[in-house]
Amino acid sequence: MCWDALDLWRQGLIMADLPRRIIKETQRLMQEPVPGISAVPDDANARYFHVIVTGPEDSPFEGGLFKLELFLPEDYPMSAPKVRFITKIYHPNIDRLGRICLDILKDKWSPALQIRTVLLSIQALLSAPNPDDPLANDVAELWKINEGEAIRNAKEWTRRYAMDN
Amino acid sequence: MSFLFNLLKGAFLRMLQLIWFGKRKISNSLSIYVKTNTGNTLSIDLDPKWDIRNLKEIVGPQLGISPEDIKIIFAGKELHNSTIIEECDLGQQSILHAIKLPPGKNRLNRKKDTKNLIEESIDEGSEANESGSKPLNETLIDLPLEDSDRHENHSEQEQQQARAHFYVYCSLPCKSVEAGKLRVRCATCGSGAVTVDRDPQCWPDVQQPRRITVHCENHDCQTLLSSLAQKDEGTPQVRYAQFYFKCANHVSLGEKDEAVPLYLIKPNLRNVPCLACTDTRDTVLVFPCEAGHVTCLDCFRDYCVARLRDRQFEFDDNHGYYTLPCPAGCQNSHISEVHHFRLLSPEQYEQYQRFGTEEYVLRAGGLLCPRPDCGMGIIPPDQTDEERSRSPDEDDCRRIQCIGGCGYVFCRRCLQGFHVGECDSQQPTTYSSTSAVSCLSGYAIDPLRASEAKWDEASKKTIQISTKPCPKCRTPTERDGGCMHMVCTRAGCSFQWCWVCQTEWTRDCMGSHWFG
Ligand SMILES: [Zn+2]
Ligand SMILES: [Zn+2]
Ligand SMILES: [Zn+2]
Ligand SMILES: [Zn+2]
Ligand SMILES: [Zn+2]
Ligand SMILES: [Zn+2]
Ligand SMILES: [Zn+2]
Ligand SMILES: [Zn+2]
Repeated sequence: MCWDALDLWRQGLIMADLPRRIIKETQRLMQEPVPGISAVPDDANARYFHVIVTGPEDSPFEGGLFKLELFLPEDYPMSAPKVRFITKIYHPNIDRLGRICLDILKDKWSPALQIRTVLLSIQALLSAPNPDDPLANDVAELWKINEGEAIRNAKEWTRRYAMDN
Repeated sequence: MSFLFNLLKGAFLRMLQLIWFGKRKISNSLSIYVKTNTGNTLSIDLDPKWDIRNLKEIVGPQLGISPEDIKIIFAGKELHNSTIIEECDLGQQSILHAIKLPPGKNRLNRKKDTKNLIEESIDEGSEANESGSKPLNETLIDLPLEDSDRHENHSEQEQQQARAHFYVYCSLPCKSVEAGKLRVRCATCGSGAVTVDRDPQCWPDVQQPRRITVHCENHDCQTLLSSLAQKDEGTPQVRYAQFYFKCANHVSLGEKDEAVPLYLIKPNLRNVPCLACTDTRDTVLVFPCEAGHVTCLDCFRDYCVARLRDRQFEFDDNHGYYTLPCPAGCQNSHISEVHHFRLLSPEQYEQYQRFGTEEYVLRAGGLLCPRPDCGMGIIPPDQTDEERSRSPDEDDCRRIQCIGGCGYVFCRRCLQGFHVGECDSQQPTTYSSTSAVSCLSGYAIDPLRASEAKWDEASKKTIQISTKPCPKCRTPTERDGGCMHMVCTRAGCSFQWCWVCQTEWTRDCMGSHWFG
C-alpha cells in the first residue's frame, strides 16, 4: 500500500463517525475560507482545528499572526466550540490562558451558529476590544484608565509573540 | 383430550362459518362498533375492502331501517356510499355512528329518482362540492400553526402530498410518541355523532373552542342545550366542535381513550434542513417562533439533553411550565406543550421533571437538599421579620433538615453539615453534585494537545471537584479546578461569584485570587 492510499484510508477512518454537519462545515471552510483566517482540521482528529488569525488592519494587532486552537466537543453543535488563543496576546477580553470572553461561546451560543461565525466574531473582537466585559483583568483595567499605554503594550506583545515565527 | 376435541370443533365451526358467509368472505377483519342515535350499539366485523353502502346493507336489517335511510358518520363527516372502509382511517374497535334519516331528508346518498328532475340536479350540484362525503383524514391537509398562513387553493396533487400527519404522546398503553388520529365530538353533549360545518384549517381551529360549528345528531342534545341556555343567558344556541386525538398505534380503548397532540412535530413538506445538523429529514419539529425554525427530531433530543445537563431549561412565568425556547434564540418561542419533551428517553424525561420541580421549589423561596442522590426540594418555614432582624445569622435560622427526603441536617448558608458558629468557607466539600454548574474555567479542549499548548501553569493544578452553593440561588455548584470566577449556569440566575469569598465576583477577587 502506498503512503497516499494509507493516508486516505486513515482519513476515511477519522471522518467515518463524524457528523455530516461537521464534514459540511469543514468542506466549506476549505473551499471558501474566511478572509484573514485559516482553519485546518488536525490530521489525527477532525474535531480539532489549527486556526491562524491575521491581526486586523488599524488595530494594535496588525501585522501579527495569532495561532488558536478550536475544538468541537462531542455534542457540537448543541454545545459551543471550545476556542483558545495559543499565541500570547494583550487584549482585555482574552485572559492569560488564551481564553476568550465572547458571549456566543457561552450563554449566547446557538446550534444555528457555525465555526465560521465564531471565527468572524473573534476577528471582530480583535478590531474592537471591549474592556467592559466580565472576563476583564488587569489588561482591561489599564485599557480603561490609560488606553494609549494599553495599545502600546498590545503592539509590543504583537511584535514580540505574533511576528516572525 | 377434551381440549383437542374442542380445538377441532372450533376449527370445524369456523369452516362452516366461512361457507355460510362465502359470498362475503372477510379477508382481513376489522371489528368496529356502530352506535345509533336511538341508543343501540352493534358490534360488526368488516372487510376493509367494503364500501359504506355494504356497511349500510349489514347495519340496516339489524336496526330495522332501510339502508337508504341511514347515514354513517365518522370523525365529523358523513361518509359517502362509495367510500371504501380502508380509506377511512378506522382502527380496531372504532365507533361509527348510524343515523336514521327523517323521511325525505336523505339527500346526500339518495338513489336517483328520475321523476324528480329538479331535486336531482340540486343533488348533483351539492354532491360535487360536498367534501363531507370523504372521511376527514382524506380531506384534511397539514395544519399550519398560525391562523394567518392557512393553505389556499391546493391542487389535487398538492393536497395528496400535504395530507395531514399528526403525532401524539400516548400515555397509556404505548407510553411513547406515536402517529395520531384527529377525532371530533359535540362540545355540548360529547356525542361523536356530529358533522363539522367546515374542516379545521389551522391549529387554532383544532385547539381553541368555538371556532367550528357542528351539526349534532344526538336527540338529547337539544334538550341539553335548552336547559343550559335557561341557566345561563350567554350560552350560544349553536353547537361547536371539540377536537381530540387518538393514538394510532393501539386498539381503541373506547371513547375516553385520548392522546396529547404534539403539534410542533410535522412532516417536512417544505424540505427545510435542520438548523443543527443541516440534514433534510422527513419528520421535523417546527419551533413556535416567528421564523418557524426547524430541527430534526434527533437534534431536538440532543438540544434538550444539552440544555437539561446545564439546567438551561427556562421557567415560563406566564404559564408556569419548565421549557425551552427556539435554539436560535428567538423571542417568544417557548414550547408550551411540554409533552413534546416525551421525545426524550424515560430517564431523561424523569430528569426533566425533577429539574422542573426543583426549579419550582427554588422559585417558591425553597432550597434543595445538598446531599448527592437526594436533591429533595425543601421549603423552610418562614422567618418572621422580627426573628430575622434580631439574629440574622443565629444558628437556628441556618439549621435546615431534609424532611421528607434523606433527613440530612445542614447549614442553610454553606450547605454543609450543620455546625455551630461561622461557616468554614475555605473547606470545600467533596460532594460531586450531579447538578453540575460549571465555572467559566470549565475549559475542556483535547486534553493531550491542551497540555502541550498551555502558556500558563495555573490550569495544570490537579482537578479537584468540589461543590459550593451559588450565593444567590443556593444551587449546588461544582468547581473542577481553574479559576475562582464562577458563573451560575442555572437559567435565570447567571450570578457571577467568587469561589473563595462566596460573594459576588469583584475586581478585588480578580486581582488577589483569580486563580487561587
Ligand atoms: Zn397508544
Ligand atoms: Zn350534541
Ligand atoms: Zn438535525
Ligand atoms: Zn426561532
Ligand atoms: Zn436530602
Ligand atoms: Zn455553614
Ligand atoms: Zn445561581
Ligand atoms: Zn473573592
